[in-house]
Amino acid sequence: MGKIIVTTSGKGGVGKSTSVANIGTALAMLGRSVVVVDADVGLRNLDIIMGLESRVVYTSMNVIDGECELEKALVIDRRVDNLKLLAASQRNNKTDIQPDQMKEICLKLSETHDFVLVDSPAGIEQGFENASSAANSALVVTTPEVSAVRDADRIIGLLQSKDITDLQLIINRLNPELVKRGDMLNQFDVLDILSINLIGIVPEDTDIVGASNRGLPLIYDGTSGAAGAYQRIARRLDGQDVPIPEFRAGSWLGNLMGKILGNN
Amino acid sequence: MLQRLIRLLRGTETSSKTAKSRLKLILVQDRLGIDEEVMKELQVEITQVLSRHFTLGEQVEIDLQREEQAMALVANIPITGMKDRKK
Repeated sequence: MGKIIVTTSGKGGVGKSTSVANIGTALAMLGRSVVVVDADVGLRNLDIIMGLESRVVYTSMNVIDGECELEKALVIDRRVDNLKLLAASQRNNKTDIQPDQMKEICLKLSETHDFVLVDSPAGIEQGFENASSAANSALVVTTPEVSAVRDADRIIGLLQSKDITDLQLIINRLNPELVKRGDMLNQFDVLDILSINLIGIVPEDTDIVGASNRGLPLIYDGTSGAAGAYQRIARRLDGQDVPIPEFRAGSWLGNLMGKILGNN
Repeated sequence: MLQRLIRLLRGTETSSKTAKSRLKLILVQDRLGIDEEVMKELQVEITQVLSRHFTLGEQVEIDLQREEQAMALVANIPITGMKDRKK
């Protein structure tokens, strides 16, 4: 049976879909079979971030309504082997799917895939309930900002109350320059407050916007700071022991040189 | 640059320090579902009880921390001495 991991945050816009897209692709690059599942019914985003939006024909709603087989609804990513997307319906809303129905789909997918990554919508309502229904572990995404951390704390409490105890934290959009100036919480602050296991830190990376503009997840760009971070997270999820590097505020020129030389 | 100089002269706390202490305080309330008044009462009462036995440096600090299976109310008690026990 494959692993069913829900990626959630509470707060919107902290990088759940981006993380699922990049980590899912990275795991496929490592040779694992991966399905990424968009659970944000009505406001789907995973398809557009992955650049697969024009190839979505059937969604999880069609599968639940019995209009098509699950296998037929999976969009195959042609850029890497063993990566598929199950898109969410854009015309329905979250109350049109019940947690049991999502659970059935995810369990079925886990029979034939190594990883089922479920992209949860923001919030703590039915979207989150549906997304977490089948999960045996969770990736909690937060940014080092007060609102995000507060919401992450709430979501952690909710996940624990569902007996999902394998919780891994991703600190996204860490800006070493702001941390150095004392204007941003550092990873130790965030961990001290949230007290769950840290699986990775993704640094602030201006290339993220261009990547979603193009529908080409940043993981394909080896020189990007965020790509390297997602790569390491995927390897840790796959059981490898990869240390978390130190993120230092550097000079503008230093960072540019680093990019040209492909340092990560 | 000038702002940083001003901050240095004033000795103001960094915004990240402020953020951390605000978060710690609000999360105690969020996690327990209790408000600031109750927390303050708890703090005062705990301080009173402890000061029957100890002389305290300052007010007792209480914090709610997450552990593996449950929450733990953790208190930081600055003690400067023992009080005489009246027999």
